[in-house]
Amino acid sequence: MFRATGAPLWTSAQRASHSIAPVEGDRGVVIDSLAITEIVDAQRTVGEEIVGPGDWLTGRERVAAWREVRSSRTDRLDQERRQALTPNAVSGRHEATAELSAAATEVVHRVASDPGRLTRAWADEQIAELDEETYTELVGVTAIVSVLDRFDGAMGRAERRLPEPIHGEPARVRPDDVGDVGAWVSQSTGPTKANVSRTLSLVPQTNLLWRRLVDTHYSRGAEFMNLQWDFPLSRPQAELVAARSTALNECFY
Amino acid sequence: MSGDANGLTVDLEAALDRTHIGEVGVPAGPELLAFTNAVELGQGDIDTTRAALAEAIGEEATLEAAAIIAIFNGLVRVADGTGIQLDGGVFTASVDEREQLDINRFAGAANSAGVVAGERDTSAVADLFG
Repeated sequence: MFRATGAPLWTSAQRASHSIAPVEGDRGVVIDSLAITEIVDAQRTVGEEIVGPGDWLTGRERVAAWREVRSSRTDRLDQERRQALTPNAVSGRHEATAELSAAATEVVHRVASDPGRLTRAWADEQIAELDEETYTELVGVTAIVSVLDRFDGAMGRAERRLPEPIHGEPARVRPDDVGDVGAWVSQSTGPTKANVSRTLSLVPQTNLLWRRLVDTHYSRGAEFMNLQWDFPLSRPQAELVAARSTALNECFY
Repeated sequence: MSGDANGLTVDLEAALDRTHIGEVGVPAGPELLAFTNAVELGQGDIDTTRAALAEAIGEEATLEAAAIIAIFNGLVRVADGTGIQLDGGVFTASVDEREQLDINRFAGAANSAGVVAGERDTSAVADLFG
């Protein structure tokens, strides 16, 4: 085994204060750069906390959403919609499960399988049945578990076992500083943030987990301003991967 | 993109062309694009393209590439699922680029037909994720 190089390494003080272990990559390579250990640590903690009670969903409901995200890859209705010229051309709707209503199941499947062709009319229909907070949390949970599963797939790792839900009551707190900023759901009205930074601001517990993933996997806090950052991937390489991923997902934003 | 700041001339059109797996002006660009397409589209074997990428840029950078692909799978879902609009400044500043790069054809463009009302300072790049 050897230690990969090329990025800032943990100092002993940093390691002691964060208790993050080095990561074993492919072919037994031990990776202990700060950037990489932060990614792996964020995935571990977010993966543990996403199955606990959230803003409006219970841990059981969140685990059920994760299960539905996975089933969307092979679900017949999802596949037919994806192949259709427009998803509305395919009749049918997802059924309720033991944990999720039909509308909740529909949201998870559509966001997971065909996010680029969602419309405001469709979202309004689901929100009318669910309320906008629950809708937003379902979007957030779907996004978060998609990140975890996609990473595992990219690294050739086996799909992680769905964790047991953590019992407890959701926070059920609607933030005061949210309103109409032009999105389909209420979001924070602060004047300085771009729209992408406030997507899940209506559901702060879920947003915390989401922001941790974004910060460790791409934006790097203040380092985002540094166009020549010192991370394993150079900034142009990181942006190339980001641009191609976005294009393949047909995300306009 | 950050090509200029790093002394690179990046072919953005090729970078966004989903069928292009080749040089775009970024070191290890072909390997990065092959890996991304394999993960996202199943176009090519993930293990093979990942191994080729690791050979080119190392294990750490490969793991970071996987992390970026993963996070953008989430970003597109929160962006499209919550129906956010392009920020006013970005919308008006990117008219030519969107046209040139054919971004307006993306399915999600149908939801961003107008500029969001209201004042927002988008001059600081860090604020995109701040």
